[in-house]
Amino acid sequence: MGKQVDILQGTLDMLILKAVSLGPLHGYGILLRIQQVSKDALQIPQGSLYPALYRLEHRGWIAAEWGESENKRKAKYYRLTAAGRKQLKSERQEWKRLAVAIGDVLAAEPEEV
Amino acid sequence: MLAQVKSWWRALTGQSRLAGEMASEMDGHMERYAADLMARGVEPGEARRRARIEFGSTAAAAEECREAVGLRWPNEFGRDLRYAVRVLRKSPTFTAAAVATLALCIGANTAIFSVVDAVLLRPLPYPAPERLFSVARHFQGKGSESYQTNLWGSAWEAVRDNATYLDAAVFSDGSMGVNFAAGGGVDYVKQQRVSAGFFRVLGIKPLIGREFSMNEDRPAGPAVTVLSYALWKRVFHADPSIVGQAVTLRGEPHIIVGVLPAGFRSIVPADLWTPLRPSRSGEGGGSNYAVVARLHSGASWAQANGQIEAIGAPLMRQYGQDASTRLRLISFQRGLTVDVRQPILILWAAVGVVLLIGCVNIAGLLLARAAGRTREMATRMALGSGRAALIRQMLAESVVLGLCGGAAGTGLGWLGVKALKALTPASLNLWQAVDLDWRVLAATAFASIAAGILFGLYPALAASRLQIRAALGEAGRAVAGGRNPWPRRLLVTSEVALGVVLLVGAGLLIRTFAHLRGLNPGFDAHNVITAELSLQDARYATSQSVNRLFEQSLARMRELPGVESAAVTISLPYERALNTGFQRMDGPHVDTESQITNMFYITPEYFRVLRIPLLRGRVFTAADSSISAPATVVSEAFVKMYMPGDEPVGRHLDLGGGEKREIVGVVGDVQQKSGWGDGAPTAAMPDIYIPAMQVQDKFMQLVHTWFSPSWTVRSAGPAEGVIAGMQRALESVDPQLPFAGFHSMEDVRYRALSQERFQVVLLGALAGLALLLAAVGIYGLIANSVAERTRELGIRLALGATVPQAIRSVALPGVALALAGVIVGSVLAAFATQMLRHLVWGVRPGDPLTFAAVGVGLLGVAAAASFLPALRVTRLNPAETLRQE
Repeated sequence: MGKQVDILQGTLDMLILKAVSLGPLHGYGILLRIQQVSKDALQIPQGSLYPALYRLEHRGWIAAEWGESENKRKAKYYRLTAAGRKQLKSERQEWKRLAVAIGDVLAAEPEEV
Repeated sequence: MLAQVKSWWRALTGQSRLAGEMASEMDGHMERYAADLMARGVEPGEARRRARIEFGSTAAAAEECREAVGLRWPNEFGRDLRYAVRVLRKSPTFTAAAVATLALCIGANTAIFSVVDAVLLRPLPYPAPERLFSVARHFQGKGSESYQTNLWGSAWEAVRDNATYLDAAVFSDGSMGVNFAAGGGVDYVKQQRVSAGFFRVLGIKPLIGREFSMNEDRPAGPAVTVLSYALWKRVFHADPSIVGQAVTLRGEPHIIVGVLPAGFRSIVPADLWTPLRPSRSGEGGGSNYAVVARLHSGASWAQANGQIEAIGAPLMRQYGQDASTRLRLISFQRGLTVDVRQPILILWAAVGVVLLIGCVNIAGLLLARAAGRTREMATRMALGSGRAALIRQMLAESVVLGLCGGAAGTGLGWLGVKALKALTPASLNLWQAVDLDWRVLAATAFASIAAGILFGLYPALAASRLQIRAALGEAGRAVAGGRNPWPRRLLVTSEVALGVVLLVGAGLLIRTFAHLRGLNPGFDAHNVITAELSLQDARYATSQSVNRLFEQSLARMRELPGVESAAVTISLPYERALNTGFQRMDGPHVDTESQITNMFYITPEYFRVLRIPLLRGRVFTAADSSISAPATVVSEAFVKMYMPGDEPVGRHLDLGGGEKREIVGVVGDVQQKSGWGDGAPTAAMPDIYIPAMQVQDKFMQLVHTWFSPSWTVRSAGPAEGVIAGMQRALESVDPQLPFAGFHSMEDVRYRALSQERFQVVLLGALAGLALLLAAVGIYGLIANSVAERTRELGIRLALGATVPQAIRSVALPGVALALAGVIVGSVLAAFATQMLRHLVWGVRPGDPLTFAAVGVGLLGVAAAASFLPALRVTRLNPAETLRQE
């Protein structure tokens, strides 16, 4: 397990959208996928995952339905909606712009300021 | 956006389902995590423990989830309400006092509002009622104005012919009982007389048949009638072929031309309608018509009213009206309610004041309670509760109180409406029912919540404005002063002031009622039974036939066991009498213009039956017949008004037509409903009596369209058989004539003041409630101040103050505040009682006795309410008090 990074407020939404964009997942699955893809670099406080899921569902970006999980248990599966896909796209662009901007700020040399 | 609302609504309506889903989702999460941990070799118990710990509080997460879907506000609201109920249940005395106060106030408001709504607010139950108008005489005096909707025949014709913006019809005010014979039985039914087009103007199409045509609505037109749905169903079993057939009405056949729809209620209770046949003479010579008009579509009120004023100007001059009187177009509902509007508005204002006093009282209680809850509030704020949350919490308590009071008040209001209906069955028999319908319930709910916020807001604001440290450190340890007492004192003062206004109003009405009750009736009502019947009947078109009926039926009634005397009169004392014009023909005053007087035709024994004293000359005998010299007996008030200082017996009057009628006697006055003059509810009016034998055919017919003569019978004692005997006596003379009902003269006297009694009882009850509330308010203030100042009083007593001194120091503020309230209230009342000007008789609105009695009485009650709780000081033990804490 490498170094863990706390997640910025607001970026959790984007990560969830991204996670479910690859296919329907239940809550624990979302958590695992984010950790897996980030190679355990991103650690999500488990308790804060669900309020975020409900918030996204309330906004209509993800939809949920009950299904059967791998071990024959009932689980609530989340998938991305069309609105969610649009939202993910715009958040991604926003994030890239922000990342570039922050990178620029951090890369600035004293004489350039 | 829509998706969000839907999701919110789903969440709100399925909260328990949502909670279950969240729980199972989170549990599943933890189980999977625990399973993963176990797969990595963690021991099962430890794995589950770690899963739970790492997940954190599921309750907090669930709460956040609910917030995420927009359930925060409704959840907090629900929590506030639940907490409010819990808090209120913990102090049952306070809660009971507040709810009872509110229930009484809101109950009174509900009951009165149901009347206000039915009479003044709810639109008339006809299509487009806002386009219906009355043509009324508008009188503008100094600081007062009044409307009269009764008009002369010529005025109606002028409106009909010249008012181009209006579709107008005319009708006779009120409904008359008439005899109705169909299917073998006779019935006494209510008839309203209306012109052609009356139902069209109201917007009502007959269910079957048609309404009256112009040809039927003229003097001597064909005899026709329109039936109500109820009568049609009751008598003809809803047989549609009845239209075109004849029924016997008023003794002659009338063709039924139409039946009105089931839901239709006319403006007065009526079973059937006959054509009015308006004219300029006879009935139309007096102001006996009322006009209803519908504004043509496209026309405005201003246009139509301008036209009506122009039409009215010459008419008002012609009829010698006051120079400021104009003909105007007023809303039909307003026109129908000109007489009751003011008393009802006064009652409404009075219940509003009572509700205000109730709110003030509860606000006082809440302030006192807030003082005791300072520590609780401070603790909650110290624990991080915001001020807004505290205010919201306290308002929730007030609103819960308001709603409980409102619910209880609705129950009381329902009883109140029933009581009102019992108290005044006739005057609440309107074009629509007085009922607790959704409008009234909505108003009650609104009043309850508004009251909750009204009495809760200030205490909530005041209580939440506190310094946490000071409150937590010092609460309960204040020695003297401490809390600002002025807000409560101001509340109590204003409550007393409002109470004074109501009490003075009620006092004036009570004095009026006592005055009216105390007026000498002028006759002996004991053991007199009376019954009226309609002689608006084709078989009684001549004076001779009427007098034969009188003579024969009275002769049989006199034969009844226990009966002393029997007579017929066209109207009874305490009823509204026929008005007529006359001229004095000799003596010091000879008239060229007509004077007005009340007139009665009677049979000779009338004065004996009612024991009206003869003061001078003689009464009528059987010798005063149609062929003897015309004679009249006048009342004392007539002599006072028209022949002061003159010897009336032997003088002559002209009652129209130039016939010389000699005054043969003077009798004592009786109380009557005045109808003209100063408008007092009852008064000794100038009367002239003439023998029934000497009434001309035409005049008798005219009088019988408005008045039903009354048979009056005096028995030696309370004779039970008299009523049945009277009925049999009449039947043996004419089986086709039904009596409308029997009353004792005491009943007649009782009914005469029913409106005044109604006002006195209601306003008196409201004022009593106000007095009670004010007393409770003062009592609460003083009791609270004794509790707050226990330590201070203990110290004073320990330092040598006597108990009476201590009592005085606690109680006197109550009396002083009441005194201030009485002074402010008296000034307010001096203005407010101007509204009662038209309802007060035998006493001036500024009556010093009433004001003084109210002031002294209130101060007495205030003193009692102040000293009673102050007596607790005697139970204080200084040593113990000081050791407390």
